Amino acid sequence: MAEYDDLDDTGRRDFLLKVTTVVTGAGAVAASIPFVASMNPSAELLAKANTEVDLSDIPVGGMHTVAWQGKPIFILHRTPESIKAMEATNGGLKPEQDSDRVKKPEWLVVIGVCTHMGCVPNKEGPGWTCHCHGSQYDDSGRVLRGPAPNNLEVPPYRFIADNKIMIGQA
Amino acid sequence: MSPTFAAENKLEKFQTDTSVIAVERGVDTFMNACHGCHSLKYVHYRDLARFGIDKERIATWRGDSTLDSAMTSLLSDEAALQSFGKVPPDLSMIVMAREGGASYVFAYLTGYYLTPEGMTSNHLFPLTKMPDALEISTATDSVKRSEIMEQAHDIVSFLSWAADPQKAERESLGYYVIGYLIILTVLLYNVKLQVWSKLKT
Amino acid sequence: MANKIIAWIDHRFPLTSFIKHELTGYPTPRNLSYWWNFGFLAGIVLMLQVLTGLFLAMHYKPDAAMAFDSIQHIMRDVNYGWLLRFMHSTGASAFFLVIYIHMARTLYYGSYRAPRELMWWTGQGLLLLLMATAFMGYLLPWGQMSFWGATVITNLFRATPFIGDQVVVWLRGDYAVGDDTLTRFFALHYLFPFLIIGAVVIHLVALHSVRSSNPSGIDLADKDNIPFHPYYTIKDFYGLGVFLMAYFLVVFFFPHSVLEPANNIPANPLITPDHIVPEWYFLPFYAILRAVPNMVGGVVAMGLSVIVFAFMPFLDRSRIPGGGRYRPVYRIMFYLFILDILVLGYVGYVPPTSKTIIIGQVATFIYFGSFILLPFISKAEDKWLFKRGLPPKILALIASEEQEIAKRGKR
Repeated sequence: MAEYDDLDDTGRRDFLLKVTTVVTGAGAVAASIPFVASMNPSAELLAKANTEVDLSDIPVGGMHTVAWQGKPIFILHRTPESIKAMEATNGGLKPEQDSDRVKKPEWLVVIGVCTHMGCVPNKEGPGWTCHCHGSQYDDSGRVLRGPAPNNLEVPPYRFIADNKIMIGQA
Repeated sequence: MSPTFAAENKLEKFQTDTSVIAVERGVDTFMNACHGCHSLKYVHYRDLARFGIDKERIATWRGDSTLDSAMTSLLSDEAALQSFGKVPPDLSMIVMAREGGASYVFAYLTGYYLTPEGMTSNHLFPLTKMPDALEISTATDSVKRSEIMEQAHDIVSFLSWAADPQKAERESLGYYVIGYLIILTVLLYNVKLQVWSKLKT
Repeated sequence: MANKIIAWIDHRFPLTSFIKHELTGYPTPRNLSYWWNFGFLAGIVLMLQVLTGLFLAMHYKPDAAMAFDSIQHIMRDVNYGWLLRFMHSTGASAFFLVIYIHMARTLYYGSYRAPRELMWWTGQGLLLLLMATAFMGYLLPWGQMSFWGATVITNLFRATPFIGDQVVVWLRGDYAVGDDTLTRFFALHYLFPFLIIGAVVIHLVALHSVRSSNPSGIDLADKDNIPFHPYYTIKDFYGLGVFLMAYFLVVFFFPHSVLEPANNIPANPLITPDHIVPEWYFLPFYAILRAVPNMVGGVVAMGLSVIVFAFMPFLDRSRIPGGGRYRPVYRIMFYLFILDILVLGYVGYVPPTSKTIIIGQVATFIYFGSFILLPFISKAEDKWLFKRGLPPKILALIASEEQEIAKRGKR
């Protein structure tokens, strides 16, 4: 078998080979972009990224759960007592001002996903309890007892009317 | 493509104008002349916005529908069956779904004429159940006719865009990909020459 | 560190020696032309199809009520969904084009001759698997052409003796092509590429045992072989660059040229399109089906027209290597045969008229006649060439081939 003669390598061949290798590699990386991107949410889902909620039929002390981007959103119409109690404390494990967590004190809007392992907590008395691993949250969605590491997340939302919020747009 | 429609060979080659202005005019005419019966269920109002048409303009077309809803017609299938004996086809893909493509749709839209008996017929598709929406069969003066031709042209431009909305994006990406491949192939060819020149005979 | 890991693996698994013997150092004839690039290209297209298909399957819905909509969803809403879909639809045509050229090369140079019969037959099996996969994939968009193509092709199985009708119903899972047919075709369309990959492995194992053929048609002496790497790696990659240019030209600028307009209309079991044609790669076989006026006869003829290639190693009786390269009569036959296939393809494409039926029947006769007459023609050609006196170059090739065979016998 004839042998490949690689003894008298010229610099030019080395250079050409390097350039070609780099160009090929760059192309291969670029080619992976469409494949990776195709696994991201489609334009249709992005269009549904905003949820409009009418608050007028939620009674004082009542809670509604709506879906936003496939996740439950707790909307709690808080009583004056509850507001007072929440404003009086800073929560437990992760201290945070109640006023930082609401846009209007009577409305608490949080993502109803336990920050521990992603279960949906149940409304029990004041606050929520997660039945998966026993985490507890108060009426401001702040974690009082672990194992959950964080307070319930507040989604981006804004009031588009007195009684209407748009979740998804801050 | 296929030789089914002999007529299609004689169709004038349709020059699609998929500029935003032409498509916008096309949507406008479409909403007035076609959308009463025909849906575009795969096209959403937001697609028009993404294409570059002004949102305020879109709002005048969509009425109570949201920006995210499909451009479906208000005519129900039952009502359509009663009035026409046939459900008007969805037009999202119509330009892609006909031999001859845009040229066919244009020739069809402008192919209405009055028979000597005073009936409306169509050169391309005599059995059609669709009325002459653009009223070209009764238009006699040349100004009016050329206006209607313009309208038909805009509608078909819009429908061409609707059937293949990524065409512009696809082709611009295509130039980069082909350009890259030319460079890569030239490089590979030179490496190949050099490698093979080392071969002892 | 890397050396240590490799040494650790080599102790337990023949990694380095495998790469050295079967990949980098694999001895390859030095005189291969660019026609020998197409096997590699077929492998690349297979990988492209598997990859794009995998990502399409993440968005596609194999349900009669949703399939057509899900294709539109892929085309309009999924990020780069249109690219994946056009790459896959164009890839199907590219696959057949590459495979047909690969086969034509084998036929022209007589590469199917001993000892490469198993290469040719595993390749034949691969072609059948590819055809089945392509056919089932074509149903998935659930357009008019999908539906009626599947209806016609599943109906071919009515030609099965005694239980034809039951076989058709069994294949469809319904009395007509329907939701169940679609779902099972999707399942099988996903399965078959695994079978193809398995068959490719067998094809390659066979290749590495008999080594690549070459334009001279004989087994070359050791000195005329060169290591696969870097000579053929770079040549294959250069060929790949050229191929990708053509492929992406279609994907980006003419993607609709490989899609039938009627397939943009959702499947409707109540209306057959005026003109149903199979994809271009099935046209010659479709023409043979139509050329035979009897249903069972047509199906048998069509099946035979694909299978008959397998008999080439027996039908070609010539002792001269290199096929069309050194044999003028065989060369003429080859070109006439290609021409005949093109005629059949045209006949399969146009709607049947009395004229095209006659042309189709003549072309079908020529098609099968070429195979039937080949043993006699190749023998007569041999006699004539030997009587005329072969050029010394060819005599040397034959002598060297005989030596090689003798040497191999001793081993």
